[in-house]
Amino acid sequence: MAAPGFLAAVQGDLVAVAEGARAGLVQVRDGVQGAGSGTIWEDEGLIVTNAHVARHRHVEVLLPGGRRSIAHVLSVDPHRDLAVLRVEAHGSPGLVPGSSRNLRPGELVMAVGHPWGVEGGTTFGAVIGVGADLPENPAPGRELIAVSLQLRPGHSGGPLVDVQGRLVGICAMMAGPEVGLAIPVEVVRDFLQDWLPGSQARVA
Amino acid sequence: MSSVLMDLSSAMASAVESTAAHVVRVEGRRGVPGTGILWSADGVIVTANHVVRRDDRLQVGLPDGREIEATLVGRDPTTDVAVLRASAAGLAVPTWQAIETARVGHLVLALGRPGRTVQATLGVISALGQEWRTPEGGVVDRYLQTDVVMYPGFSGGPLLSPAGGLLGLNSSGLSRGVSLTIPAITLQRVVPMLLEHGRVRRGYLGIGAQPVRLPEDVVSQLGQETGVLLMSVEPGGPAAKAGMALGDTLVSLEGAPIRHMDDVLAALGGDRIGSTLAARILRGGALQEMRVTVGERG
Repeated sequence: MAAPGFLAAVQGDLVAVAEGARAGLVQVRDGVQGAGSGTIWEDEGLIVTNAHVARHRHVEVLLPGGRRSIAHVLSVDPHRDLAVLRVEAHGSPGLVPGSSRNLRPGELVMAVGHPWGVEGGTTFGAVIGVGADLPENPAPGRELIAVSLQLRPGHSGGPLVDVQGRLVGICAMMAGPEVGLAIPVEVVRDFLQDWLPGSQARVA
Repeated sequence: MSSVLMDLSSAMASAVESTAAHVVRVEGRRGVPGTGILWSADGVIVTANHVVRRDDRLQVGLPDGREIEATLVGRDPTTDVAVLRASAAGLAVPTWQAIETARVGHLVLALGRPGRTVQATLGVISALGQEWRTPEGGVVDRYLQTDVVMYPGFSGGPLLSPAGGLLGLNSSGLSRGVSLTIPAITLQRVVPMLLEHGRVRRGYLGIGAQPVRLPEDVVSQLGQETGVLLMSVEPGGPAAKAGMALGDTLVSLEGAPIRHMDDVLAALGGDRIGSTLAARILRGGALQEMRVTVGERG
C-alpha cells in the first residue's frame, strides 16, 4: 500500500485548499472586541461577515495582501447574523461560490479565520448535517451547516469552503467545543438580494 | 492540486449515504431523540440503553421516512445496550466488521439520525484494547475509543470503518467525555440474550466485599497477593446458605483466583446461574472449601 504517497497527496491538497480559502479571508476590527473575520464576496469591494462582528458604521479591515482599509458597513441583519461591508477595493477576486445544499454528511470542509487572534488559523473536519432541523440549533428554523471542527472566537465571519475550495458558508458560532455552525452561502445570497436591491451584488 | 482530497471526501460521504439505510431514529426520551441500528430484517433494532428512558410509547423513524411504533425487548444498562422491536419487514441489515480489522489511526465516521436525515462526524480510532468492564459492571469484549464528536442524538448509532462495515455502536453514556464504541462482538453476545431473556442474566452471591492483602504464608501458598474480604453477607443469600460469613476472605471460585471484585463478577456470568461452585475462603488464618450455588441477580 502506497500510504505515505497517498497521505502526502492528501496533505498537499489540504494546504492548497487552505491557501485558496485564505485568499478570501479578511480581518475585521470594530474596536470593541478582538478581531473577527470577514469573507471577500465575489463582487469587487464587498465583504460579508457576521452581524456580531460588525457593530459600528465603520470597521477596520485587514486585507489579504496586508493592506489596512476602513470599510463602510452597508447593512446588518441581526436575525440572520450577517453584515455586508464595502471597501474601495480589496484586490481579490473572492472565493468561487459553491452550494451548501449539495453538501453531504461526512464530506470534508475547511474553515479559516483568526481564532483567538491567530491570523489565518485553519481547521478542518466533516459536515455533520445541513438544514434547519439540526439538534441544538440555537435559532430553530434557521438554516445552518453543522460541521465537526473547532471554531473559536475570531473565526466568526470567515469562509467555510469545500474540498474544491468553493465557498459554502460563513462561519458563525460554536455549538460545543468541537461543533461549529456556519451560515449557508445561499442564505448570504438571499441577504444580499434583500438588502442591496439593484446593487452590483450578482445574485446568481 | 490532485484529486485525492476530493476522492476521500466523496468516498466518506458515499459511505455515510449507503450506511444511512441501516440507521434509524429512536424516540424514547424527552428532548433530542437517539439513534438505533437495524439488527434484523424483521424489525429488531439495537440502540443505546440510555437514550430509551421510558419503557413504552417508543417510536422509530425508519430510513424510508416511515414513523412506526416499537416495543422494548430488553435492556442491559451495564453495557448500555437496549433492543427494540418494530413491526416491519424487509429492512436492510448492515454488515458488521470484526474489530480485528481496526487499527489506531484509522479514519472512522459516527452516524446519527436524531432528526429526519442522517448526520455524520469524523474522527480517528484513538485507542484499542482488550476486554474491559464498564463502571456498571458489564463486560465489553474490546476497548474501542475514538475522537469522533458525539453530536446530540448520536448515541446508539454506528461507527463506520473505512472498510465499509460497522465496527460497533457508539455510546456517550458509558464514560463521560470519552467517545466509546461497543464492538460488534459484544452486540452479537448481548443482543441474543436480550431477545431471549429480556435482560442479560448475571450470577449473584449476595456479598459485599473489598480487596485485601493476604497474609504472607497464604500468598506463598496460593501465588496471589490479594483476596476479597466480605464486608456484608446477605441473609438467606447464596453465600450465606453456603456458610460464608462476615470477615471471611474469598480467594478463589471454581479454581479461578479471586483477587478483586472484577474477578468475582467475571466468575458470575449468566451461564453460572444455578450451578454449584467450589469456593475457597480464608477464615481465622486457615483456608476452607465451601460449595456455593450461584443465584440470579434480580
